[in-house]
Amino acid sequence: MFIINCPYCGERDQSEFSAGGEAHIVRPKQPTELSDDQWAEYLFMRKNIKGVQFERWNHSHGCRKWFNMVRDTSNDKIHAVYKMGEKPPVK
Amino acid sequence: MDLKEYSEIKISEIEPILKINLRGKNRNFITKIGKELSIITPVDPNTSSSNEKLNLLWLSPDEWFLYSNDKLGIKDANSLEDKLFNEISKVKLGSVTNVSDHWIMINLKGRKIFELLSTGCPFNFNNFKNSKGAVTQTLLNHIDVIIHNKNVNDLNLFVRRSFSAHLWSWMNDSARFI
Repeated sequence: MFIINCPYCGERDQSEFSAGGEAHIVRPKQPTELSDDQWAEYLFMRKNIKGVQFERWNHSHGCRKWFNMVRDTSNDKIHAVYKMGEKPPVK
Repeated sequence: MDLKEYSEIKISEIEPILKINLRGKNRNFITKIGKELSIITPVDPNTSSSNEKLNLLWLSPDEWFLYSNDKLGIKDANSLEDKLFNEISKVKLGSVTNVSDHWIMINLKGRKIFELLSTGCPFNFNNFKNSKGAVTQTLLNHIDVIIHNKNVNDLNLFVRRSFSAHLWSWMNDSARFI
């Protein structure tokens, strides 16, 4: 259990949120020109590192908005939360 | 109408009242709602505005929930919905959806209502209970709810119809032990 600061609603319990996987994955501009391996890479392959990770989250039991989060998966420390379309505040 | 009373807690179902979901993004939409309803549209998160007949709750940056204070007659309810539909949906400013039968409104009154909610809710009510007009969407006993703090120790809770019987039983069961 940890507290997430929704960029729209403020601080809420983690149980109100749903994790949406890795963030900043860009859809290929010409999907038809990709090989099956490249398409599978885009579609299925996700990092799941131990450490600081950029993730998408949804406040599913609140405002139902998607946003991005920089989270350390080893200790659940949240380094930053930012809206969709905004640049990541840390690298 | 269902009504249950416990020591310091009164739980009652208030139906039928008009409930409308409003969605839109641009500034014209926000101004239009305020003009049509004679209410200042709340744009700050977790807040609401009210007049003698209606309440407008902030749900998200592009979504609001409108409900009537009293049980409106079908004629009055339909005319308000039609007015909003013609001024907003028809001109493609946003969407107007009548959700009167989708949500059930339960009124909670009494000194211990926040103790009752805290038994099954992850939300921190410390600031909420002292802010008149505050709104939150959260979970209560794992069920999605919208809570509107109407007045001191007086709040309206909205729950989806299919979950309402279960939540009603749970609240009555929990209230017995507080």
